[in-house]
Amino acid sequence: MGLIKKVPVYTENIPGGALVATSLEQVLNFGRAKSLWYLLFGTACCAIELMCTGASRYDFDRLGMIYRATPRQADLILTAGTITKKMAPRLRKLYDQMAEPRYVIAMGGCTINGGPFYYDSYSVEKGIDHIIPVDIYIPGCPPRPESLMEGCIHLQEVIRKQKLSDWQEK
Amino acid sequence: MTRDELKAYIESNFVGRMTLLESGKVEPMYEIKADDLIEVATKLRDDLELKFDFLCNMGGVDTRERLEVIYNIASTSKLHRLDFKVILGYDSPAVESICPVWPGANWYEREMYELYGIDILNHNDLRPLLLPEDWDQGHPMRKDWDAPDFVRMPEL
Amino acid sequence: MGKLRTEEFQVNMGPQHPSTHGVCRLLLTMDGEKVVDVVPHVGYLHRSIEKICENRTYAMCIPVLDRFEYVTAMSCNYVFALAAEKLAEMEVPERAEYLRVIMLELNRIASHLIFYGTTAMDVGALTPFLYGLRERELIVDLFEMTCGQRLTYNYIRVGGVSRDIPKEFVPKCREAVKIIGEKLSDYEGILNENPIWIARMKGIGLTDPQKAIAWGVSGPVLRAAGVKHDLRKDDPYSIYNKFDFDVAIRWNGDCYDRYLVRLDEIRQSLKIITQALDGLPEGDVRAKVKAKFKPPAGEVYVRIENSRGEMGVHLVSDGSTKPLRVKTRGGSFNQLQYLPEIVRGKGYLIADLVAIFATFDIILPEVDR
Ligand code: SF4
Repeated sequence: MGLIKKVPVYTENIPGGALVATSLEQVLNFGRAKSLWYLLFGTACCAIELMCTGASRYDFDRLGMIYRATPRQADLILTAGTITKKMAPRLRKLYDQMAEPRYVIAMGGCTINGGPFYYDSYSVEKGIDHIIPVDIYIPGCPPRPESLMEGCIHLQEVIRKQKLSDWQEK
Repeated sequence: MTRDELKAYIESNFVGRMTLLESGKVEPMYEIKADDLIEVATKLRDDLELKFDFLCNMGGVDTRERLEVIYNIASTSKLHRLDFKVILGYDSPAVESICPVWPGANWYEREMYELYGIDILNHNDLRPLLLPEDWDQGHPMRKDWDAPDFVRMPEL
Repeated sequence: MGKLRTEEFQVNMGPQHPSTHGVCRLLLTMDGEKVVDVVPHVGYLHRSIEKICENRTYAMCIPVLDRFEYVTAMSCNYVFALAAEKLAEMEVPERAEYLRVIMLELNRIASHLIFYGTTAMDVGALTPFLYGLRERELIVDLFEMTCGQRLTYNYIRVGGVSRDIPKEFVPKCREAVKIIGEKLSDYEGILNENPIWIARMKGIGLTDPQKAIAWGVSGPVLRAAGVKHDLRKDDPYSIYNKFDFDVAIRWNGDCYDRYLVRLDEIRQSLKIITQALDGLPEGDVRAKVKAKFKPPAGEVYVRIENSRGEMGVHLVSDGSTKPLRVKTRGGSFNQLQYLPEIVRGKGYLIADLVAIFATFDIILPEVDR
C-alpha cells in the first residue's frame, strides 16, 4: 500500500474490499514523477558524469530513472554537454519527437549559458533555453552526480505539483 | 637519427629546398616553398634514411602578418620527427593537397580550408567538416574575424 | 520466379545515437543488411577550443584544454604544459614529474575502464559497464582527493603540478592499484572466452598496419595490428625511461585484439604506478613561474602517448602572455578518418560497425575540438 501513503486519498472499508477515492491528478503525477525515463543524450564531458551517475556507485535507477535510447520512449531530456550551433536544430528535433508530458533538465554550465565557451567561441550556443524550454538548471562543470540527483528530485517535486489544467491549455 | 644528425642530413640533402627558420630555436623548423611542397614531401617520405611515414599533425596559423601551414611529421621506424611549414600571403592563399603523400592529411586540409580559408589545390573533397552546413560567416580562425554574436573576453 | 529487385539505400546513424560515443553522424550506404560505404560527418561538438586558447593566457588555457579530451583530461593538461615548458626551456622539479606520471597513468587506466564498459555495452553486455565504472570510481576518488575535481582536473600546470598530494594519497593509491589488478582477471573472465563476444569481435574490422600508419592511426589501434609504436618508449618524455614496462602488442588487428591490447595496457600502467609510488622523492612540486608567464617567441610541437593514440600540441608563441596558436592533435581524429577505409566494401553488418567504432575508442571532442 505504498501508493496510498504517498498520495492523499480517502479510503473507506466496504464489504469485500475497500473504497479508495483520490484525484486523477494525484495518481498521474505520482506515476510521472516516479518513473522518469531519460533520453540517453550526451554530447560532451557532462555525459561522462551522467554515465557515472547511472553506474554502480550512484545508481540512478533507484530514482526510477532508466535510460532510453530513443526520444519516443523518453519523458525527460538531460542535456549533458555542450550544444553547438550545428547540434541545436537536432536537439530541437529530438525534443519535438518526445511524447508529452516532457521535461528538460539543463545539466552543466554549457547548456545554461555556454559555460566555459561563452567568451571567444564562434560555434557554441549560448544556453539551450532559447531552443527548448527548460524545467531545471543544474550548474557545475561538470555537476557532481549528487547534484544531478538533487536536480532530478527537484524535478519530481515540480511534477508532483502539476495541475491537469496546465496540460489542457497547451 | 638524433636531432643534430637529422639537421646535418637535411642541410646536405635538401640544399635550397628546406630553409631553417628562426622560430625553430627549440626544435628545428624548416620552410618549404609552396610550389616545391609535394616533391620535397615525397622525398622526405621515401628517403631510406629518413622514412617519414607518419603525419602527426598539420594546420593553419594566422600570425597577423601572414598565413602559414605547419606540418609535423614523424617516422615510426626511425623514430625521429621533423617540422616544416609553407608560408602564404593573405591574398588568395593556396597550397597543394598533400594527401597523395600522407592520406591522413585529408581532414586536416578540409578543416584548414573552412577555418582559415586556405585553398587546397587538387583535393578531392572540400565539404565543410566542422562548421554547420549553412555557415556563411567566413573563416572564424582568422585573427581579424568577427561576428555579431561573438563575445570577446574582457581584458582582466 | 524473377529475381528480386534490390537497391542501395542510406541510413543515418547519429548524431544522437547511443553507440557513437558522443555526437557523430555516420551516413551508411546499405545493401540490405550489409554496409557498403560509410561517411562520417563530424563537427557537432566543435566548440572552438583552439580559438579560445588564442585569447587566454597560458595559465588560463589549461582548464579550457581539459575539455579537449575529457576522458583523459590529465593528458591534455600535460601536453600543453610540456609544450610551454619546452618553449621556455624550463626545468620541472623531480617530485612533480613523478606525480605527473602517476596521474597520467591513473587517467589512462580510467579511460580504458570506460572503454571496457562502453564497448561491452555497445555490443550488448551490461555487466562489464557496471564493473568498469565501479573500479573507475576508485581512481576518480584519488583525483578528487588531489585536485578537487572528478573529471576536469586542471592539475598539471606549467612548471609542475598545482599542489602536492595529501598524506593519505599514497596508501589509497596502492590499495586502488591492488584492487584493480585483482579485478582485471574478473574482467577477462567475463568476456575473453565468451562465445558471443568472440563471435562479435574476432576477425572483424581488420586493420592493415602499413595503411594505418599512412593514415596517421596511432595508439592501441596501431599496436593491435602488430606495430610496436609507443611514444613512451619511442620518443620518451617526462621520466618514462626510468620505469620498467612493456609495450602491449597484438598482431591480428581485429576488434578482439584491440580489446586485449587495452586490457594489457592497464596492467602495464599499474606496474608504472607502483614503481612511481616506490620512487616518489620529496621536494617541491612546482618550479618558480612568473605570474605573467611569457615564453620567448618560437614554436614547438610536442606529442605524448594518450590512451587513444598520439596526442600533440603545436604551440606558437609571439613572446606575449597569450599563445598565438594552439593546434591540438588527438588520436581519434585520424582513427575516425581511417574508419571508412576498413569498412568500405567488406560487407560488414551494422552491428559489426558498432563494434569497430567502439574498439577504435573514438570520442568526439578530440575530433571536433
Ligand atoms: S558544463 Fe563543463 S563539463 Fe559540462 S559539457 Fe560543458 S564544459 Fe563539459
